[in-house]
Amino acid sequence: MEEEEWSEEQQRFSYLQRLKAAVHYTVGCLCEEVASDKDMQFSKQTIAAISEVTFGQCENFAKDLEMFARHAKRSTINTEDVKLLARRSHSLLKYITEKNEDIAQLNLEKKAKKKKKLEDENRNSVESAEAGVEESEN
Amino acid sequence: MAYNFSPDSEPTTRTLLRQVLDTAVPRTPRRARSTRSGCWSLHSAQRDLLETPSSRRQRSQTKMTARRRSHTATSVDRLARVQASGHLEEQTPRTLLKNIILTAPESSIVMPEAVVKLVPSPQVVQPSRRKSSRGSLELQLPELEPPTTLAPGLLAPGRRKQRLRLSEFQQGMDWGHLSQEPRENADASSLTSSLNLTFAMPLQPQSVKRPGLARRPPTRRVVDVGTFLQDLRDTSLTVAPPGESHRTPVATVPMDTVLEDTQPFSQPLAGHSPSVHHSLPCPSPSGAKEVEGAASRRTRSSGPGLQNSYSGPGKPAQLLARKMEEVEAIAMGLPNTSSVSGEDGIEPLQNGVGEEAEESMEESMSVREVEKAAEEQGSARAEEPEGHTEVAAAAGSLGAIEAKEPEGSSEDEDTSASPELPPSTPEFLRTRRLQFPEPAPPPSTAVLPSELPKHLSARIPPRPRIPGSRPRQDPNKAGLNHYAKLFSFYAKMPMEKKAEEMVEKCLDKYFQHLCNDLEVFAAHAGRKTVRPEDLELLLRRQGLVTDQVSLHVLVERHLPLEYRQLLIPCAFSGNSVFPSQ
Repeated sequence: MEEEEWSEEQQRFSYLQRLKAAVHYTVGCLCEEVASDKDMQFSKQTIAAISEVTFGQCENFAKDLEMFARHAKRSTINTEDVKLLARRSHSLLKYITEKNEDIAQLNLEKKAKKKKKLEDENRNSVESAEAGVEESEN
Repeated sequence: MAYNFSPDSEPTTRTLLRQVLDTAVPRTPRRARSTRSGCWSLHSAQRDLLETPSSRRQRSQTKMTARRRSHTATSVDRLARVQASGHLEEQTPRTLLKNIILTAPESSIVMPEAVVKLVPSPQVVQPSRRKSSRGSLELQLPELEPPTTLAPGLLAPGRRKQRLRLSEFQQGMDWGHLSQEPRENADASSLTSSLNLTFAMPLQPQSVKRPGLARRPPTRRVVDVGTFLQDLRDTSLTVAPPGESHRTPVATVPMDTVLEDTQPFSQPLAGHSPSVHHSLPCPSPSGAKEVEGAASRRTRSSGPGLQNSYSGPGKPAQLLARKMEEVEAIAMGLPNTSSVSGEDGIEPLQNGVGEEAEESMEESMSVREVEKAAEEQGSARAEEPEGHTEVAAAAGSLGAIEAKEPEGSSEDEDTSASPELPPSTPEFLRTRRLQFPEPAPPPSTAVLPSELPKHLSARIPPRPRIPGSRPRQDPNKAGLNHYAKLFSFYAKMPMEKKAEEMVEKCLDKYFQHLCNDLEVFAAHAGRKTVRPEDLELLLRRQGLVTDQVSLHVLVERHLPLEYRQLLIPCAFSGNSVFPSQ
């Protein structure tokens, strides 16, 4: 029993570590980009600090998002929740809303396409069914 | 056997009795152990003695335990016999006294002479003549701090507030007169054992080191009977008609100090410089009057409040130069001398000034008013709105002022904002005022559920300015003044005005931000009114509410009962639970 819990703990811990490593790697890549852009060097401690902060903030964001979704009596996190989360910084909020609109448009287009496809398929299936019926009849 | 005076300078009953036992020469117990039950029925004098010690015992119980142990250790051998008889582990004054009785010889009972003096310096009061003449056991007991055991029938159990009365009482009394009573009491007793106790002031070291939380020994001043009586006369005269007479600035000086000092019998004499009092012109008297809260009294209280503002910063130099007696004499000599025009000028100001807490505003006002008394009507009207807004800011909660509020704010604020403001400001401020008695700002967010529905429904516009009027503060922003003052109070060091203003600004932004969040949360849930769930979300985001600490816990911890039962209905007597809405 205890061993199971301990192994669970270990698994969780290793999982966390992997996640942190992934974040660290990503932050490193981004920092390299910025460094080449601005012609400034980033020290290792800086990258480590940024990745730690990012990881902590991700945890916070996740909890907040869950709280917001629950507050709206939903069980899935919505774009509304994300917008609520990002409302603090104006630029971020604008960016997110723009992206949101783009995605919404895409979704609409997709839906429109899907509808057409479905209709076509329906027709096809109906036709094939009719054809089948006719064939069978014939 | 040394007097173990603990660093705590207050000798309590138990220590005193302990010391008595220590110093007492052990004699053969006159009674067998079986009479322990009989000893419980102490004669009345001792019972009276015990009553006051027991009342004091309750007060000083916590101090006793440490001392008790130290004392019991030293005197164990001495009182081995006595201890064996009774359950002396309790070490109550009763048991100690009982032991004293057991070990004391027979002699006539003389009431212990308690010294009721207000001299803090250690004095050894000489035992009275009768006691010294006896060759019987004379126990030198240090004085009981609130000296009451003297004549229990005559004096109430000692309270510090009555000490002045006591002093006068005693000065008029004969010692022999007093001591006869206890003797009568004693004679009436059944037991014939006697106590010969004399109480004397302990030889306290001059420099008493006070450990952390020990109480400072009360600073007692020598009472001069003449000045005291004069004081009584003056205070009775000045307090009784608070707002009618003494409209002149001169006359308000004694009232000023009297009113600011909440204790009626404190000495407002020249010992304390009036400047100290004048530096706080109004908050204390207005604060004292806030409690009363009657609309009619508002004008009366604002009268002296005004007078204080008149007198205080207006002519500080002159007032400082005068002595209290002279001022009082002048005050007595000027009955109800108030110029009619000045009165008219005062009236609107009274209504405006009311329960102010702003010093600066008062000073500025008073400086002007003092110069031209009768011609101030114009500026008085102009200041009236400011007074209104300041009144709004103040922590006093008077319904009349609230009624004035909308008038003031509506005349001053823009017409565009006015339809929203008047209904909203009273509510907002009322709820703000309700907030004021709360302990700390963080719980204020928990109170917001009751406040916010009203607050959010009326958006507060940015403050408009009417040209020609003095720059006023937004009445809602001025409400933060209270919090800024709280802040400076808890800051443990003096704060600059600018710092206070900064704090106010930050608080303003903070609260606006919070309320924005709440609005957004409510909208997020598809609602238009803010509900406790939104607040819980907000507090969760702030980290005050966690998985370990729920909102209910916070509510129970910080809110007074009236608010708490809005959120958590609790059962009252009769087990009727108020229905939750």
